[in-house]
Amino acid sequence: MLWSLERIVRYRVLVILAVTLIVAAFVVPGFLRLSTLALGLDRGASIGLIAIGMTVLLIARQIDLSVGSIFGLCGIIAVMLQSSLGVWPAAAVGVLAGAVLGAINGLLTVVLRINSLVATLATMLAFRAIAHWLTESQPVPGADIMLSIALSKVYLEMFTLRAMLFVGLILCLHAWLTWTVAGRNLFAVGSNPEAATASGISPDRTVLLSFIFAGALAGLAGVLQSLTTNTGSPMFGSEILVVIIAAVVVGGTRIEGGKGSALGTLGGVLTITALTTAMEFQSIPAYVQQVVMGSILILLVVLDRTIRPGAHAQAAPAT
Amino acid sequence: MANKIAILLGAAAVITSAGWASAKTVCYVTAADAHPYVTPANEAIDARAKELGIEVIRLSQNFDVQTGTEQMNTCIARAVDGIILWPLDPQAYIPGLARAKEAGIPSILINSPMDAAANEFIVSFTGPDVYQEGEMAADSLNAAMGGKGSVVIIAGQAGNGTTIGRVDGFVDQLAKIGSEIVVLDTVNADFDQQKALVVSRDLITRFGDQIQGVYANDDTMARGFIDAWKEARPGQPMPIVIGINGQVDAFESIRVGEMYSTIVQSPIEDGILAINTIADIIDGKEVAARLPIPLTVVTRENVDSVKPAF
Repeated sequence: MLWSLERIVRYRVLVILAVTLIVAAFVVPGFLRLSTLALGLDRGASIGLIAIGMTVLLIARQIDLSVGSIFGLCGIIAVMLQSSLGVWPAAAVGVLAGAVLGAINGLLTVVLRINSLVATLATMLAFRAIAHWLTESQPVPGADIMLSIALSKVYLEMFTLRAMLFVGLILCLHAWLTWTVAGRNLFAVGSNPEAATASGISPDRTVLLSFIFAGALAGLAGVLQSLTTNTGSPMFGSEILVVIIAAVVVGGTRIEGGKGSALGTLGGVLTITALTTAMEFQSIPAYVQQVVMGSILILLVVLDRTIRPGAHAQAAPAT
Repeated sequence: MANKIAILLGAAAVITSAGWASAKTVCYVTAADAHPYVTPANEAIDARAKELGIEVIRLSQNFDVQTGTEQMNTCIARAVDGIILWPLDPQAYIPGLARAKEAGIPSILINSPMDAAANEFIVSFTGPDVYQEGEMAADSLNAAMGGKGSVVIIAGQAGNGTTIGRVDGFVDQLAKIGSEIVVLDTVNADFDQQKALVVSRDLITRFGDQIQGVYANDDTMARGFIDAWKEARPGQPMPIVIGINGQVDAFESIRVGEMYSTIVQSPIEDGILAINTIADIIDGKEVAARLPIPLTVVTRENVDSVKPAF
C-alpha cells in the first residue's frame, strides 16, 4: 500500500507542509504568490540558520538552549563595534563571538561534564544578562539605515540575502551529513557514543565542534538580524528558542539523538513559517497560534513513539 | 486518502472562509493583545473599522520587536491596502516600512514616534504629542506652586521616546515661561510603581522638606511617590504631585487631594484617530504628517466631568 501510515509518518514533513500550503491557498487569497513565498522565506531565514546548528547538536544527542541569547548578544556586538571597526569587520567579530560563546557551551559540556540541557540553560541566562548589561537594556541603533534597506532587497523575486544563505547552508549540511565520513560519525556519536569511541571516533571532539558550529550560526543569524533592522536589541531572540526546536523536531530530527536530516529541517522551517504566516493572515491571536504549534508538536512526538517506520511491518508481516 | 484530503480541505475552507469579502483590508501590527492601554486602543480600532466597512488583520507583537519586524513581512505579502504600526523601537521597522512603500502600501504609526529616518516611509503619525504633555504638565505645576519652589522629576525608562518628550517638554516649558521652579533631581523609574516607590524613598531621604513638588512621567509612578511619602512622613502635608495618563486611580487621588493634576490621554481616541486616518489615506484624501490626539488637564475642578482614560 502506497499511503500506509508508516510512510505518512516517515514523510510527515512533506505531508504537513503540503496540507498547510493547500489549506492556506484555499483560505487566503494570494497565499501562493511568489512574493508571499519570498517574504516567508526571509522570515524563516533567522529561525532556519539557527535550526541548522540545532539539527547538528540534536543529532549528536546534545541541545543548546542559549541560541536565542547568542543571537541577541552577537547582533549587539556587531552593531556596537560598527563605529570603531566599520560595518563588515564588526559583523565578522559578531559571528566569531557566536563561535566563542558556542565553545563555552561545548567546554562546559565536554570538560566539566555538565549535561548540555543544564549547561546551556545557565549560559542562556548569562548571555542574555550580558546583552542587557552591555546595552543598559536599551536598543542600540546602528550606523547606516540605508544598508539595512539594501540588505532587505529581494533578488530573483525569491531570495533575500539571508534567505539565500539559509538555503545554501542547509544544502551544504545535507551534503555533509550524507556523503562525508565526519557527517556519518556525527550520527554514530549521537546514537551510541561508546560504540563510536570503540571505533576510533572522539565523541568529545565531535560534540565540542558541534557546539562551536551551532554558536557561530546563531551568531550569524543574529548579526544579519541586527544589520537588516539597524538595531542591536537585548530583547532580540528571546522568543525564538521554542520555534527553532519545534521546526527541527517537526523536520524529523529526534531529541534523543542519532537521527535527523538537513532536508527535514528545511521542511520543518518552511512548515512553521507557512503555518505562522497563514494564521497571521487570518488574524488569529498570538496565544491561539502558540496553542496550535504546541499541539502539532505533541501530536508528532506521539505519532513518532507509536508508529515507528519498520515497526509496523514486523507486527504484521503477512501484509 | 485522496477522499480524506478533500474532506479535510473542504472542512477547513468552510470554517475559515466565512465572512470573506472584497472589502478594504488594513494590517494592524499592535504592541500587544492584553495591556491596560493597548487593549482599549485595539478594541476601538476594531469597532471603528466595522463602521467604516474595513477588514482589520491584527497582528500582536506581544512587546517583541523582532516579531513585529517579521509581521511587517506578513502584511506586505498579504498585499493589504494600508498598514498601522505600533512601533516599539525607533529604528528596527524602517526596512519593513521601506518595503511596504515599495509595494505601494501606505503605512502610518500609531501612539509612539520613530526616528526621523522613518519619516520618508510613512504617511502620517497619529498619537499623543508627548512633548506637549510635558509642556502642559509644566504649566499645571507652575500654576499650582505659584511659579516658584523646588521639585523632583520621576521619569520613565531612559532612552524611551515618551520619557524624553515628557521630560524635555517639561523642562523647556519651565524655562520658556520664566518659572522660578528649580528641579532638584531627575530619576528613572521605568513607568513602574514599585521602582517609583524605591527611588522616592531615596529622594525623600536626600531632600526631605525641600521637595515641594513632584512631576511623575505617568500616574503609576506618581502613586509610587505618594505611597513613599505616606510611609516616610505620616500625617504631614503631601507635596504637590502631578502625573500623566489620566488613570482611574489618579482621578481618585485627585479627589482626595493626594494628587494635584493628571493629563488624560485616551487610548480610544488614539485607536479611532489611527483607523480614521488610514481610511482617509485609502480613500485618496490628503492627511497631515502629524496628527495628535486631544489632551485634557484634569484637576479637582473638572475631575467629575472628565472620563478617565483607563
